[in-house]
Amino acid sequence: MPEIFIDGQRYEFEGEHRVLQFIQDLGKEVPFFCYHPAMSAPANCRQCFVKAGQYVKDRETGEYELDEEGNRTIRWFPKLQTSCNLQMVDGMVIHTQETDEQVARAQKDTLEFLLINHPLDCPICDQAGECPLQIQTYKYGPEGSRFEVKKVHRPKRVRLGPRVILDAERCINCTRCVRFTDEISKSHQLTIVQRGDNNFPITAPGREFDDPYSLNTVDICPVGALTAADFRFKARVWEMNQTPSIDMTNGKGTNIDLWTRDNIVLRITPRYNKEVNDHWMPDEARTAYTLFNENRISRPLQKLDGEQVLSSWNNAYATLMEQLEEVKPAEVLLVGSPHASVEENYALAKFANLNGYRKPVFLRNEEKGKADGFLLTDDLAPNTNGCILLGFDELTPAEFSAEAEKAGLIILVHDDFISREVLTAGQLDGKYTVIFASNHTKTTKAADLVIPVTTAAEHAASYVNVEGRIQRTFRAKETKYNKRRLDMEMSEGRLDRYGTNFDNWVNEDNKIDCLPLWTFISNLTGYMGTEITLEDGRLIMSEIASTIDAFNGVSYAKMDENSGIQLDTEKVSKKVES
Amino acid sequence: MKYEFSEEDLKEIDAIKAKYPEVMPATLPVLWLAQNKFGHVNPEVQRLVASTLGLPEAHVHGVVTFYTQYYEEEKGTYVLDVCTCLTCQLCGGYEMLEYFEEKLGIKQGETTPDGRFTLKEVECLGACGYAPMMQVSNETYVNNLTKEKVDKLLDDLRQDKKPEHEKVGMPQRKNI
Ligand code: SF4
Ligand code: FES
Ligand code: FES
Repeated sequence: MPEIFIDGQRYEFEGEHRVLQFIQDLGKEVPFFCYHPAMSAPANCRQCFVKAGQYVKDRETGEYELDEEGNRTIRWFPKLQTSCNLQMVDGMVIHTQETDEQVARAQKDTLEFLLINHPLDCPICDQAGECPLQIQTYKYGPEGSRFEVKKVHRPKRVRLGPRVILDAERCINCTRCVRFTDEISKSHQLTIVQRGDNNFPITAPGREFDDPYSLNTVDICPVGALTAADFRFKARVWEMNQTPSIDMTNGKGTNIDLWTRDNIVLRITPRYNKEVNDHWMPDEARTAYTLFNENRISRPLQKLDGEQVLSSWNNAYATLMEQLEEVKPAEVLLVGSPHASVEENYALAKFANLNGYRKPVFLRNEEKGKADGFLLTDDLAPNTNGCILLGFDELTPAEFSAEAEKAGLIILVHDDFISREVLTAGQLDGKYTVIFASNHTKTTKAADLVIPVTTAAEHAASYVNVEGRIQRTFRAKETKYNKRRLDMEMSEGRLDRYGTNFDNWVNEDNKIDCLPLWTFISNLTGYMGTEITLEDGRLIMSEIASTIDAFNGVSYAKMDENSGIQLDTEKVSKKVES
Repeated sequence: MKYEFSEEDLKEIDAIKAKYPEVMPATLPVLWLAQNKFGHVNPEVQRLVASTLGLPEAHVHGVVTFYTQYYEEEKGTYVLDVCTCLTCQLCGGYEMLEYFEEKLGIKQGETTPDGRFTLKEVECLGACGYAPMMQVSNETYVNNLTKEKVDKLLDDLRQDKKPEHEKVGMPQRKNI
């Protein structure tokens, strides 16, 4: 098998590899900026220098040539090589900065050059704390600069497009952003203009950088040159918690991270999953962070004399019980939702089963023509396939409307049917309407009883994407009823660890008074005397896995290990085109 | 003004394209063609070139801004590119540039109100041996500049008399 010697260690390899990626895959490090595993490697930052050579073999005998001391002689390539685009060949010898003074020196000098015109404004730069330039200068860079003349100034605060702002002085011209628009999103909207120490990326004159994937360039920019218009100056990176999650705005199931500070979600970034979204996510999925913070329903709401008023949880349980007793079981219409998780829908189904109600039905939420062949599909809900796999009856809007007319009591989850024009407020008049929801909508306004439930940022639960892949979320935000410090699964940042409730940066109001849907159902059945226990997502999923075929073998542990599990696609509807 | 390529131009562009295995390398010669026709390659011309070649506008823009020889906006009849790169700088390039500025009453990068001259400061034109030097409208070099030479050049150009190509001999070894 071909072999390579890196810093004196022998490794075997098969197939084609580039040195930098191979070294990274070994868990070792060579500093770099312009290389990105998903894009071409133009080798223009020159930071990833290594010394490369080849052991000399005698052609006839095939034996290695030895020097006087008995060590194998190495024929070095004439100059240092950029490891990012250096193809590995059998018998290659690589020295990195770990073992070679010359390499360490070259990397240090490259950094000195990169920093010559850099403004060094880390204290006010959003990238500080997650900046490859800052980190690598700290690790491999020079102590100071010998450059004493005036720095070259370049444009600052340039609005490249509606969502991305450029500070050209910070740019190191790695061309990652340009390559992203050329190779990944294919909008070709960016280019590097000017030359020498004046160059920077920009659009053609009079054109906007309105690529629907534009914000990915902010993520991959290795410095603070590109920032997101709506996140700039909002938070320092180290003040936030990073929690893995799943996008709730599309059926693609893009893997994301939620960044929170004091229980407010401040930004959403993509999380690598090569099966789903690679390193990327669409811009529109990022704006969804507001859904977790704004317009939230906190405490149950109840309609009294035609007006919704805040109620108590006890009152909510009692009222719902009373109302359920007033109608015949056959008149109860439970509507599951592709916007709710598998666990929530299951809780609803279990509740129906227990009380002899009809199995929940559901409606798709689709926008024809939305699919772009990349990360957007026509499906606007994260869990349509989850509803299908739970065996819910799918209704068309017309069928549903007819069913709603007949029902005596309707229980909805999340879906804003009134805004979507599936129902009119008038159709709900005269029947008792309950809705489990997290945000105020036209439909919640029309309901008689509104039960505030957790969002994907507040519960751990699973969602099945359009391809039938089940993936789960983690708790990122506290509610009134859980505590970050007691919850072993919640990430804890510096502010959480060292702050107290009396610090002026802690706001209790950021915690919403809501419950996971399954907890409400458990409590309700407790009051009704038909107690079922649905404790948390993890346990509910193991119950689902052991009772419903399609979910056989699914567990949180397995999902965590493999970044989701592909379910049997035979059972999954292929109706949703990706 | 609406910028368009004529049938003939398009034929010429096809001939240019045929020289290369891909379209991208045709960007440079087609930009020349456009600049010769319109006198500049302003954003609208850049768009025309991009759409004619089927290339991204951003790419064409990047190429235009890389070379000082492409004019990103309308220029004067004569463009005076004065070199102030290292060798010329050391041999008096800035004095020459300042003398031009004084005589024309404009700053580098500007065009005289009568639209006759545009003055530009440029990087090395590869003629360091004859520093300080300059180029007129992407064409003839004027070497070993002096104030007298500048005076004469401007007078000539005012009468549309373009400078002649100047042969500058290099000292040669005799005893070989
Ligand atoms: S803006 Fe950032 S990503 Fe783009 S070239 Fe500059 S440093 Fe690279
Ligand atoms: S990462 Fe290799 S040259 Fe930039
Ligand atoms: S420095 Fe002026 S021509 Fe080279």
